[in-house]
Amino acid sequence: MTPERFRALVSAVLIVGVAVSAALIGLGFVAALAVGWQGSLLGHANTSQATTDFSDLPSRLAVLEPAAISQLGLATLLATPVARVAASVMGFSLERDRLYAVITLAVLAVLLASIFVLR
Amino acid sequence: MTPGADLGIFAISLAAGLIGALAGVGGGILVIPALTIGFGVDIHLAIGASIVSVIATSSGAAAAYVRDRMTDMRVGMFLELATTTGAVCGALLASVVTPAFLYVLLGLVLLGSAGLHVSRMGEETPPTDPPSRLATRLRLESSYPDRKLGREVPYSARRIPLGFVLMWIAGVVSGLLGIGSGVLKVLAMDGAMRLPMKVSSATSNFMIGVTAAASAGIYLGRGDVDPQIAAPVALGVLAGALTGARLLHHISNRTVRLVFLPVLIAVGLETIARGLGFGI
Repeated sequence: MTPERFRALVSAVLIVGVAVSAALIGLGFVAALAVGWQGSLLGHANTSQATTDFSDLPSRLAVLEPAAISQLGLATLLATPVARVAASVMGFSLERDRLYAVITLAVLAVLLASIFVLR
Repeated sequence: MTPGADLGIFAISLAAGLIGALAGVGGGILVIPALTIGFGVDIHLAIGASIVSVIATSSGAAAAYVRDRMTDMRVGMFLELATTTGAVCGALLASVVTPAFLYVLLGLVLLGSAGLHVSRMGEETPPTDPPSRLATRLRLESSYPDRKLGREVPYSARRIPLGFVLMWIAGVVSGLLGIGSGVLKVLAMDGAMRLPMKVSSATSNFMIGVTAAASAGIYLGRGDVDPQIAAPVALGVLAGALTGARLLHHISNRTVRLVFLPVLIAVGLETIARGLGFGI
């Protein structure tokens, strides 16, 4: 893999992450202007769940809650740097830069450990 | 939030994203006080929104900086090894250390580095000595296209061990105090490692998202990320960061230093204020 293609790969991961999250956050935001943050686009009864609760996202997405749509976008945004590090591991490996492939893999491991263990 | 408040939060976040993209910082310094003082948002939700703001600035700006060869990905990945392990140590220390005096200490260090930063104010590009053996071995030498100067500017990292240690400390500080990780990164790369200012800023931007992502899960699980606040912040910051990333090409390294200085002083003062118990 050439350095140019490596940069294009990492840049593309960031652009897709940012675009998808911005679209979802924006969609939820506009929907909230219409039916309120506690509402649902399908007119379902208020689930009385706090908008800070990220559990149970799938079922709340199924009834198109504006809060849940924005939350999915926010979660995508928070996951984007992790995806970028993962793409860098691949890029350095394909570039046959063993030193940096190992360094980046170590960063990914510490990152995942801090996300899933330190909570 | 009323539509008026939403618009206000969006506008402040746009400014934070713009400044953050240029200075290599996450914009929490602007977002947190604006939300708490300006809009009466609970401090925990404001900090949760600032984590979102850091990642939005980082990802939005870095998408352009990586493509345009402003970010040095090897420098970034090498130093992320230090910041992520530092952040884990900081988070583990958080339950045993009383951070009040650490806030004051960090604030004083930042204000002291503001003095050093001023002394480099007129410097456009760092001196180009031949790269050290370590820099060659770690491939921490490269060049970036400077459209303002109209030429390719070569550089190589100096004092790599010092830079690595400073980055580890930056990681500990952000894990422990949750503040100032961007300014410390820029200071370590520009001040200690003598990378060009734009490369320092763009590489810091690249890195801060990863540092923030390491603790994002904690804030999410704790219920500190509320879309009612974080949605307008994220959208504003993204718009600002994308604009800032375009602007960087058209300004000089000196101007980037000029944008960075007030951010550095503000973070220093706010950190001291927090340590002395004036919660913002």
